[in-house]
Amino acid sequence: MTSLSFELTIGILKIFSFVVPVLVSVALLVYLERKVLGAVQLRKGPNVVGPFGILQSFADVLKLLTKENLLPSSSNKFLFIFAPMLTLILSLIAWAVIPISSTYVIANINIGILYLFAVSSFGVYGVIIAGWASNSKYPFLGALRSAAQMISYEVSIGFVIITVLICVGSLNLIDIVESQKNMWFAIPLLPMFVIFIISALAETNRLPFDLPEDEATLVAGFFTEYSSISFGLFFLAEYANMILMSSLTVILFLGGWYPPIDIFPLNAIPGIFWFVIKVFLILFVFLWVRATFPRYRYDQLMRLGWKVFLPFTLIWVVITSAFLFYFGLLPN
Amino acid sequence: MFLVGSFFLFAAFLITTCIFVIFSKNPVNSVLFLVLAFLNSTFLFILIGAEFVGIILAIVYIGAVAILFLFVVMMLDIQITTLMFNIKRYIPLALLFAGIILAEIIYLTVFKTSKDNLDTFIRSKNNTEQIGDVLYTEYFIDFQLSGIVLLLAMIGAIVLTHVYRPTIKRQNIENQNSTTAEDRVKLVKIKSGEGIKDD
Repeated sequence: MTSLSFELTIGILKIFSFVVPVLVSVALLVYLERKVLGAVQLRKGPNVVGPFGILQSFADVLKLLTKENLLPSSSNKFLFIFAPMLTLILSLIAWAVIPISSTYVIANINIGILYLFAVSSFGVYGVIIAGWASNSKYPFLGALRSAAQMISYEVSIGFVIITVLICVGSLNLIDIVESQKNMWFAIPLLPMFVIFIISALAETNRLPFDLPEDEATLVAGFFTEYSSISFGLFFLAEYANMILMSSLTVILFLGGWYPPIDIFPLNAIPGIFWFVIKVFLILFVFLWVRATFPRYRYDQLMRLGWKVFLPFTLIWVVITSAFLFYFGLLPN
Repeated sequence: MFLVGSFFLFAAFLITTCIFVIFSKNPVNSVLFLVLAFLNSTFLFILIGAEFVGIILAIVYIGAVAILFLFVVMMLDIQITTLMFNIKRYIPLALLFAGIILAEIIYLTVFKTSKDNLDTFIRSKNNTEQIGDVLYTEYFIDFQLSGIVLLLAMIGAIVLTHVYRPTIKRQNIENQNSTTAEDRVKLVKIKSGEGIKDD
């Protein structure tokens, strides 16, 4: 019994060692986003709360917490409250299989990548339930857009993942990273890397694909009716999902915790440092894209997903497997 | 003990959610209970060690099929009373299908395979590899046939619902992309007092 409770404590501590840094980095990411946008638009960004305004997001969270949580009278109460919780939970449970280094991971399961794919595809439920339960026009339209959009881009994400898996020969995330010790997959699979990042933008509902919350046409999209902390949970989940998709990009394409070149001063630095810095770079790309590109029109978005990415990734899967088969490079 | 306990827990949840799927008054709630039922069957698959099948079930049914169900059901404006009336009409057909499925389950579990055999088969090797070994070799024809059936269903649905209307304007993305400013805008010098000639 004592050993069980000991294991339980260790497990809970491990979970906290992932969840707390993720939530803190969400706050810092929001701050970073406002600073980057400020720099791109020749403004200063937040600079009042704390040194360089770094505590701005914490202040915002506190403000949201003290506000009144409104329940629309014609909404489905249970689902209305449940949707933001579901969204946040899904964005956090995915971290159970993300390996930060070759040994540090909560659950090293042999279908890790499928688990991640499954959890990220469940993410749409939070949005669609929120949109329906609000019983209001704009959230509903946002939910419909989101359902179609996220399913469309999941298809091409699936094919990108398959291409990587063909090169690795395993569904385990640690195996995937370790097979990139000599060459990151971003180099031989560069087109897939680009498609994955673009699809990740669509999957996390980020600009230029943030049509579910398109403020120019839908007020605030699926969370129009949300206020206070239930809005805050959506907000947290969106940024946690961004960090998650960036980590997934790093694991699939940028060699996880491995340094760029395996030489002395670089490989002496702990792997977790490389992991974090790569995630940071991908996140910067997310913010950069947001500041640079205008929003897609909905039909353009659908065309890009189904008529450009899907055929391209499908052909690339065939090309990659044919290449590996012809040169006898297929794993085991 | 832990495994048996979890089995009964998930199985009980599965049956409860299935009952709620049928008896929920609101169709959206039905679909959400259906999602829970899928999730519980995923857990059951993982419990017998078939994690690949379980997680694929989750990806395909929860991540895609149920979302599309929800998508359609959300947009329907259904009168709940007529729905309850209709349920009684379908009971004989439902019982027929339930009987067929029950007979299949009994046939497979009692006559076809012994349970020990199934257990060793599942646990002998990483079951993702195991499926990969047989899917495109032993079951190649069955696999392709099921793919064709799905394709037929999809094409059938499109043929039934798609109406080609030649009168509506369509976008041609290539034309849009290949247009330049010269095709669309031209600078005209207008003499004072004459206006633009329409040509």
